[in-house]
Amino acid sequence: MPSGQPFEDPLNLVPRILRKLYSTWVTLTYPFASRGGNLSLHWSCLLSRRIAPRIEIGNSVVIRNDAWFNVLPEAIEGVNIRIGDNCLIGAQDVISAKNLIDIEQDVIIGTSVLIQDHNHAYEDVRRPIREQGPMPGGTVRIGAGSWIGHGASIVCNQQELVIGRNSVVAANALVTRSFPPYSVIVGNPARLARQYDPERGLWVGATGRPAVTAEVS
Amino acid sequence: MNRETRLRARFQDPLKIPARVLRKLYSEWLRLTYPFAGIGSKVSFHFTCKIDRKNAHRIKLGNDIRMEKDSSLGLSLPTEQEGDPVIIIEDNCVIHWRSQIGAKNLIHIERDVLIAQDVLIVDQNHAYENVHTPICDQGFTEGGRIRIGQGTFIAHGAAIICSQGDLVLGRNCVVAAHSVVTRSAPPYSVLYGNPARIIRQYDPAKQEWVTGPVRAPQAEPVA
Repeated sequence: MPSGQPFEDPLNLVPRILRKLYSTWVTLTYPFASRGGNLSLHWSCLLSRRIAPRIEIGNSVVIRNDAWFNVLPEAIEGVNIRIGDNCLIGAQDVISAKNLIDIEQDVIIGTSVLIQDHNHAYEDVRRPIREQGPMPGGTVRIGAGSWIGHGASIVCNQQELVIGRNSVVAANALVTRSFPPYSVIVGNPARLARQYDPERGLWVGATGRPAVTAEVS
Repeated sequence: MNRETRLRARFQDPLKIPARVLRKLYSEWLRLTYPFAGIGSKVSFHFTCKIDRKNAHRIKLGNDIRMEKDSSLGLSLPTEQEGDPVIIIEDNCVIHWRSQIGAKNLIHIERDVLIAQDVLIVDQNHAYENVHTPICDQGFTEGGRIRIGQGTFIAHGAAIICSQGDLVLGRNCVVAAHSVVTRSAPPYSVLYGNPARIIRQYDPAKQEWVTGPVRAPQAEPVA
């Protein structure tokens, strides 16, 4: 949301007002598990009222257009999606939870990102995969201050997937396992490209040598 | 979820009703005015779907198909050309947000196939061999044909691209997120990576799932 010049183009006022009205409507009428102030939610988001009691939203969260929040009917009781303060959920993101997806504060999520803590079961060869329901799945936690690039997928089929704080997930990476804090994660399947070494106080490559290349992201 | 809870969920937020009505009306409009080669009952199109009316006579749709927001069925063919259907989608398929199907020869999606968001399925590509012309003026390659077996699941962001020959995914395959599939796979395979390789497969002799491929992909004709 551009906050600097709200009246730069008068035509932009219409979507801004729609967005504001829809955010107010959702804030006032949806029964969220807990919710901070100043939520900005685009009206094209798919967030049904049925799943609102399973969602916790912090202060000043921005959710861009076409984002989809999904909590499966098979999901465990309690809160399934937690979004910390100051998070930005980009356009066309999919967040689909069965157990728990915990996004800590100050996380930026780019466009077209997929985050899910379960997957479709496929082991029964006699039935279509559509009818087999989800796997048991695991939990996903994205550390504070991280940045997830365009088109990245974070999929946890079992146990726990933790991306440490201030990590960078590069564009179109497919993350299926945990990574420590201050990592730069690239590729499909994802691998560690760079990492911050707190002892030496500098960023090193995956081999441990000081990184001399330009920033990945 | 039973029928009653589904109905209750449907009308929980009254603001969502206009979109539902629009969707219903648009689906009926398409059914009545588009010259599809075939269209079954309970086909639901979101009103932002992209389908060419001038090529709709080459598209054949079964029952209970759901096309979500911004998904598209495109044909790179000269318009108003008669012939067999080039996009065939059978019963009970879901095509999710922003997924694109672009056909020139034949894309056949069998029943119960689940296509997630941002998926691309194309059976041709842009030609680029002529170095003196911009690629946008060079048209398309000859391309191949694609068949996706019943009960398959194609995850978020996958691309299935057939530049030549036949590409057949057997039944109940899983294509993992962001995979790029360019070759055929036998039934009950899990495909993963770019380029996609088979990481798990069902072994009918042992009746269990094993890591790695157990059978060589046999060449199967699409039609």
